[in-house]
Order: sequence, then structure tokens, then C-alpha cells
Amino acid sequence: MSCSNKFISLSTSGLDIGYNNQPALIRNLSFYLTHGDIVAVIGHNGSGKSTFVKTILGIHSAIKGHLMWANHRPHNIAYLGQLTEFDRNFPIQVKDLVAMGAWKSLGFFGTIDEKQQRLIKNALEQTGISDIAKKPIYELSSGQLQRTLFARTIVQNAELILLDEPLTAIDQTTQTHLLDLIDTWAIEKRMVILVMHDVSAALHHCTKALLLGAGKACFGTPREILTPQNLIAHGYMSESQSNWIKQMYQTSPTVEEVL
Amino acid sequence: MLEFWDYAFMKRALVATTILSFSFSPVGAFLVLRRLSLAGEAMSHAVVPGIVIAFVIAGLSVTSMLIGGLIAGLSVVLFSSFLAKVTIIRKDAGLASLYLIALALGIFILSLAGSAVPLKSFLFGSILGIDNGTMILIGATTTITLMSFAFLLRPLILSTIDPVYYESQVRWSNWVDYWFMFLVILNLLAAFKALGTLMAVGLMILPATAARYWVITITGYLLTTLVISVLSSWIGLIISFYAPAVPSGPAIVLVAGGFFLFSVCFGPQGLKLQKLQKKET
Repeated sequence: MSCSNKFISLSTSGLDIGYNNQPALIRNLSFYLTHGDIVAVIGHNGSGKSTFVKTILGIHSAIKGHLMWANHRPHNIAYLGQLTEFDRNFPIQVKDLVAMGAWKSLGFFGTIDEKQQRLIKNALEQTGISDIAKKPIYELSSGQLQRTLFARTIVQNAELILLDEPLTAIDQTTQTHLLDLIDTWAIEKRMVILVMHDVSAALHHCTKALLLGAGKACFGTPREILTPQNLIAHGYMSESQSNWIKQMYQTSPTVEEVL
Repeated sequence: MLEFWDYAFMKRALVATTILSFSFSPVGAFLVLRRLSLAGEAMSHAVVPGIVIAFVIAGLSVTSMLIGGLIAGLSVVLFSSFLAKVTIIRKDAGLASLYLIALALGIFILSLAGSAVPLKSFLFGSILGIDNGTMILIGATTTITLMSFAFLLRPLILSTIDPVYYESQVRWSNWVDYWFMFLVILNLLAAFKALGTLMAVGLMILPATAARYWVITITGYLLTTLVISVLSSWIGLIISFYAPAVPSGPAIVLVAGGFFLFSVCFGPQGLKLQKLQKKET
């Protein structure tokens, strides 16, 4: 995957998201996505983060407005949902779950060829799960399962990757490792939408931020958007909780500065 | 003295249940994996009014029984999905309500018609009841089921493990559910004569739950389910042959139940595993 254009690939304006017959969760959402973007989606519980992801994914339709794709909707969109959506009791080994990332290109009957075999092996190595490749998934910890699902996402080799809280209930080491992986996806010019709760990680790893809450949405660079005032205004944190962010702003560089 | 294999009806029953096992095992395995074990039971009752009405109108005809059963079963599936979608009731509650109505209706009509069907063979099956029509139905059902699974296997696995991901990757995600439920109903109907409406689902579910204790891959799971299903059928039929008072359905299901209890106790993922884990910790 190497499309190195800086053009906008997806944009929306005046999009209302939510469920029919209920007040919209997010009103008048304007946002855009270019190749190489990592968009942090941050908001309080019930602010519509997952609904936003599912709207982009196409399994939920917007109340008002449309998604505007520059060329066409990418055929291959990867999705990694919350672990609660996942059946951990299914009799399947780690390596087979990872290989499922290739099913989309294989259809009903296609078999995995040598090239995909290498891709799977690489994905297992990149996520650090080669040594548990033969374990059944019900024996995995949450961190190991999340690594496995990241490996599946790598195998899927998608242009657009949607991740719904992949870092929840994951230890710090795994979190750092997975965030580094997401960084490499951006370098490969994929587009990533990442629902998360870690403001500091958003400031460090993301090129854009979408803050949802209290029916509103604001979009821009993480530094512009994830300010203490904004986070308080969108009901994400209280005045006293925001103090540490103020400190962080004074000390840490952002993605743009690092790059 | 003649042995059981010397009798044509026993040969027929052995062949029929063996072929049926090939069809039942993938269906049963995915009923268990998709947490629909009880929905299988519900479907076996939901088809009853269809079968009964067909019987009252056309007698013991396989074709009319199949059509009646399919209409009744699919109506219950579709109507319960509809209720779940447009009203507050959950799918399982809708299904439970509808199959109970269907079952009561079936028995009601059967009683009104002053049944000429021996109720025992209707509920529990009879190895003597496997006529040519039934053999063809079993063969056709198995062919349709196995060919369907060629297409269904990947979508079924994916939609079971990770339903939202599956929904995001395909354009029409619901067809898997409906096609699968159609296969469940078709299989129950195919087994109706040999095992009876009450017992058919037993051969579908028990080998699948038993096999779950032994394997960690889906291929292993499907094969183990098949082996247990075939063995249960053979042993059950032989028991029913030597104890003619016992109908074939309960005999087969009890043997499958024996496999299940054995697996619970000795399967690597049954009680034995828990003991080992306790020792390790």
C-alpha cells in the first residue's frame, strides 16, 4: 500500500449521527481524512464514538448528511472492535484467527498462498505473538488477544483502519507496542481512526483529533482540540482533572514537532 | 439366529442415520458455537403444526410433511426476527413464545383430527418408519447441507467470532443467519421419521457439545462431532434393535448423552482440565 498523495480521501460536512427517533448524538460534524492520518476520537461514554466509527464503516447510516469519498469508498476497510463484541470461546488457534485477515481477498474458497503465508508470519512477529501462534484463543489474556487482532488487521492490509478502543484493558507495555504499530501504519500512508481515552497518547501519536461530547464535535490537530478548556466543555473531564494536561502542554512535543 | 445386520430395515436405518450424521454434525456444531443450542430445540417444536396439518391433509407423505414443516419453521424464525426488530421483545423471547404457540397448535390439530398417527413414533421416531421417501429426503438434505457449508463456513466462523467485524466486511450480512436456520429446520425434518420430533435435536446438539471438550480447532471440532454422531447412531440403533420396546430416538440420544457425560469428565477441556489448572496454581 503506497499511495502518497496528500489529498483528502474522506470528508463530511454537516453530518448528524445517531439513532432514528432519538436526538442526534453528534450534530453538524465536519471532518476530513488524508492518507497517513491518525485521527484520535475522544469523548465521554455515550458521546457517540462507536456510532461514529460504525457510520464510517458503513454499517450504520447517518441521520443527516453524507460521507464524501474522494474517489470511491475503499473496498478494503479494516475494523477492530471492542473486545466485548468478540467471542473468546470459539475453538480457533491464534494463527488461524490472524489468517482470517486474508479471507476478504480469498472469498469463499480461496486458499492462502505463499505470499500471504509470509504476511501472516510477519504479522505474528511484528505483534510479538509468534510463540503463542498455536494457542487456542480462549487461553489468551486481553493483551494477547488484542495483539492477535492487530496481527489480523496487518494481514488485512487495508487502506483505512478503524480501531474502537483497542487500548482499553491493555497493560502499558502492550499499549506502547501497539501505538508504535499504529505509527508504522501512518508511515505506510494508511488512514487510521482510533477511538481512545488516553489524551497524552493522542497528543503524541495522532495527527488529528476529533472531540465528541455534549452533542457537539470539534476537529483539528490534537494540540488545537485537546485543550483543557475543550475537554471540560465537551464533558470529558472536570476542571481539577484537567490540570495535568496543562502541565503536559508545557513539557511535551507534539507529533508535528517530532516529525 | 439372525443378527441385526441381517434385517433390511436395520441396514436402512444404519445407512440413514450415518448419512444424517454428516449433515447434522456441522449444523449442530454451529448451533452450539453460535449459542443457539436451545433455538434448535425450539425449532424442532416449531415445525410440528406444519407436519400435523400436512399429515391431516395428505397422510404420511414425505413431500407434504417437508413443505408443511418448512413453512411452519420458517414462519416462526422470520416472525420472531420481525418481533425483535420492531418491538421491545428480544429474539429468544419471541422465539420461545412462538414455538410454544406452534407446538400447542400442532397437538391441538392432531387431537381434533382424531389422530391415526401413533403418537409415540411421531414424538420419538421409529426405525421401521424409514421408507424410500425418507431415504431420499435424508440424502437430499445432506447434499444441500454439505454444499451450503462450502459457502457458509467462512461467513459462519467470522460472524460467530466477531459479528460486528463480519458485518463491516460484507454487504449483506443477514443471509448467513437465515440460510443457517433454514438448514436447521431442513435437517430436523429429514430426521423426523427416524428420530421423532422430540429426539431429532438431541443427535444434533449432544455430539457437538461433547466434542467441544476435546478440540481446539474448528476442523477438529467438526470431525469429532461427526465421529460421535455416527457412533451414537450405530450404538443407539443396535440397542433399540435388541430392546424392541425402546424407540430408536431416545436410544440414540441417550448414547450421545453418554458421550457427552464421558467428555465432561475426561475431555481435556472438561473437568479434568480444571483439576490440572488448580494443581498448577
